[in-house]
Amino acid sequence: MNDVDVRRATVARWFDSVTRRTTTGLAERTSRRGFLGRLGGVLAGAGALPLLPVERAFGAEESDDAPLPAGDAPELVGLTEFGDPQSCDYWRYCGLGGTLCACCGGSESTCPPGAEPSPITWVGTCRNPVDDRQYLISYNDCCGKAVCPRCFCHRTVGTKPVYFASKSNNILWCFGTDSHAYHCTVAAVIGEVAEDDSTAETEAAG
Amino acid sequence: MKGWQASPRAKRRGRLAVVLCGAIAAAGGVPAHTDEGAAAARIDYLLHCSGCHRPDGGGAPPEVPSLRGPIGSIVGTPEGREYVVRVPEAAQAPLSDDALAAVLNWMLREFSAHTLPEGFRPLDAEEVGAARGRVLSDPLRARARLAGGYEAGVAGERGRH
Repeated sequence: MNDVDVRRATVARWFDSVTRRTTTGLAERTSRRGFLGRLGGVLAGAGALPLLPVERAFGAEESDDAPLPAGDAPELVGLTEFGDPQSCDYWRYCGLGGTLCACCGGSESTCPPGAEPSPITWVGTCRNPVDDRQYLISYNDCCGKAVCPRCFCHRTVGTKPVYFASKSNNILWCFGTDSHAYHCTVAAVIGEVAEDDSTAETEAAG
Repeated sequence: MKGWQASPRAKRRGRLAVVLCGAIAAAGGVPAHTDEGAAAARIDYLLHCSGCHRPDGGGAPPEVPSLRGPIGSIVGTPEGREYVVRVPEAAQAPLSDDALAAVLNWMLREFSAHTLPEGFRPLDAEEVGAARGRVLSDPLRARARLAGGYEAGVAGERGRH
């Protein structure tokens, strides 16, 4: 056995003894059940966090990486809402005819990535069940991609037949965009209607 | 039975409700130059006009004309005053003569105050009612014929920026 072999054997013995001491110590100080219990607690806790109630008004606050709202009308800030934006029954969609951008990678007021919001649109009113007030809703189409086949809705509050074009949801509102291909529709809240505004009431009832 | 007595808090609430109701009642049919009238005209603009002319009045030229500048310069003549009422979407808007006059005056002041003729007299319900019955069948042709001209207004607006 030469010098090199002797040195190798010494290193191997030292490595063996360190490994044995570490694993034996770990086994003496900790319990497997305790570790599994704590891991389970962390996993279950992390799953529960997003389910905590979150005030949706915070969602209206702007942040740098938030997608731009569809159209150029600023969304009303501080609105309290309730419901599922991926459902046709959501209050904002009372006059919406088309597919919901909220089901296609966008939200109730933002286009999905890669789709261009149409600047030209039609505006109606919907009643918010949380505060029982009428709000102005801008139904902007998102354009430039093939139609998103999810969540097709057809509701008609405040809409008019197609011969009253400026209040019709049967029109594809992809005007003023690079492409006229219809992808989906958003419903942006652009204002609140005073309760005595008879015009808006007529619109809502019509 | 003990008579009902309003707590101080309930009384305060009651007074607040009376004040709010008064404000709401006062807002009905007020002219556009008051704050309430301007708010109602702005809502009518957003509801009936902003879909195409956009909330900031910028439109989407050339399909949808801009309201920022040129409409002020064309209301200096009787024909121009009639023109803004007779364009189809204005004439046929589901608004009373009063409300249409208010929203047109609001638009002129909000978007084109800098091009309004000196001593501009706001449109009134009577002249709006008389003009809107004669809807323009060819608005683009009518616009090209206007003295002062919409296109001249657009060019002036471009030079301004």
